[in-house]
Amino acid sequence: MKPKDFDQFWAGIESDLNSVVPAPELKELPIRSKPQFTVYGLWLSSVKGYRIFAYYSVPKGEGPFPVIYHLPNYGSVVHIPPFEERCKYICVALCHRGQRLSDEPFVAAYPGLLTLGIEAAESYIYREIAGDCLSVMDFLKGREEVDVERICLLGGELALWTAARRSEAAALHYTPALHYNSLKRASQTSNYPLEEFNDHLRGSASHRLYVEKTLSYFEPVHHAPQVKMPTMLVEDSVGFCDALVEAFAGPVDRVPFQHSSYRDGVRQANWIADRLNNGQPILPAHWC
Amino acid sequence: MPKPNLSAHPTEVVKPDDFDQFWQEIMAEVDSIPLNATIELDPLRSSEEVEVFEVKYDSLDGLRIAGWYCLPRERDIPLPARVFYPGYISEPTLPKSHAAQGYATFGAAPRGKLRSNGTFNPGYPGLLTHNINDRDHYGYKGFYIDAVRVIDFLLEQPEVDSDRIGIQGSSQGGALTLVVSALRQQVRAASAGAPYLAGVVDAFKLTRTYPYEEINDYLGIQPEHSSAIANTWNYYDCFNFAERIQCPIIVYIGLQDDVCPPETAYPLMEKIGTSNKKLYEYEGHGHDANHHEHDHVVDAFFDDQLKPVRS
Repeated sequence: MKPKDFDQFWAGIESDLNSVVPAPELKELPIRSKPQFTVYGLWLSSVKGYRIFAYYSVPKGEGPFPVIYHLPNYGSVVHIPPFEERCKYICVALCHRGQRLSDEPFVAAYPGLLTLGIEAAESYIYREIAGDCLSVMDFLKGREEVDVERICLLGGELALWTAARRSEAAALHYTPALHYNSLKRASQTSNYPLEEFNDHLRGSASHRLYVEKTLSYFEPVHHAPQVKMPTMLVEDSVGFCDALVEAFAGPVDRVPFQHSSYRDGVRQANWIADRLNNGQPILPAHWC
Repeated sequence: MPKPNLSAHPTEVVKPDDFDQFWQEIMAEVDSIPLNATIELDPLRSSEEVEVFEVKYDSLDGLRIAGWYCLPRERDIPLPARVFYPGYISEPTLPKSHAAQGYATFGAAPRGKLRSNGTFNPGYPGLLTHNINDRDHYGYKGFYIDAVRVIDFLLEQPEVDSDRIGIQGSSQGGALTLVVSALRQQVRAASAGAPYLAGVVDAFKLTRTYPYEEINDYLGIQPEHSSAIANTWNYYDCFNFAERIQCPIIVYIGLQDDVCPPETAYPLMEKIGTSNKKLYEYEGHGHDANHHEHDHVVDAFFDDQLKPVRS
């Protein structure tokens, strides 16, 4: 069920962000730059003044350029965006607080991060992580090399939450991850990371009440009505997203996850290029 | 354009004359280091079916290495064991679900991984090129040994059947599987997916995808180090460990893998010492190597080789 103070909760994150001076710093990383693009380290302040890091790669040539904003997956390491993407797009890859390169002073534990502070929505770590994701989007909007009308968000719920609050993004490529229908899915597995929820719930039925309440602020079905841009929704299995897909405000391309980094990768590259009107994508040699 | 013949790609990997001596000396040093293993129950991660323990043990260079050790609560000892080695950027596995299937399981966290990175922490990117010009201090030297020491830990556990140890992993986990099964003959079965660190000097010229791209990045600013890198890698390449592998082994690859080029899997299979080996090639798959379907093959392989008893 959607909490009554859902909008107020998310407005609180925006308010926290607005109270921080982002103070972005860009520093070239020469070892990662190539004749086709320049790679920078980006540091900026997010919620509570925490300094976060992102890779920021800009193609050589005359901009402005379309952007692929990679929202991070669950894990300590964030890869530099693919070489082929960096040739044609500005690519941003955020390391949210706790992930490597954004791990001072907070080092995220795996397992552990998924339930950190879950006793209340206000203390749940993903409240601040959501702020990290929004702050990078705000950075992009102020850059002259960025074509602000051609930004694609790519990822799981971090991308969805960002899309719901930053409607200027042109496209969302969304693969439901750990915060979609979490407790039901956790009850059907003993594999991590979802097992983290089971670990937390084991031992006391009373835990379930506050976990359910906290997760309701992050549940995708409550955010989808704010997502107006074209969305590609990648479903794990048939019917996996039946309830969710109806909730989106904008058009949704509903496609099955093919369990193939090659087939899923080619489809993703083509869809993003099409949405951002950026010609044929460059693909890795082994995909051609 | 016709597809290149993936199985005919030539390799530039050379086996140094003193390869065996190099590793013999390292293993002699390793064998002189007591494990000093500690095993601590983790009540939060334990369940009705499985007990989870955090393990720490000593390894090369005086480092303390972590790992997850899982045991079925109802166990018919001695148990067969399965070790899970991690990929380059992935977190170490906490293998509870396989413990529930009647195995003692171990999720390895070699140096640099979370919980094993207090002293050594080259980062990602970073590990692949850490001291890459120096074979004696290369980052993967200790990393390989930390993986080997998992077998030594299991051999010390009274509940583990030392004749039924299997190891597995994909990508870097596949590489560690190959290296450990070569350096510890007590390994009885092995499964390597999309093996990384095999044919390295060939691979980084075939792809622009990380982690191999780290070498291209490095050579982009220090091209004069090209031969030194090749020299170091000849001591670490899985090709040069492969002939020592004597246990049954299965390998699986995706034929559109842009991370670990499939071209490198064919010379690897030729070099693997045992005749009890099988390569699974998956058309239409990249670095996932079709693990979604192939995991069932892996489970059946270990069940057949290690014969767990299920309660």
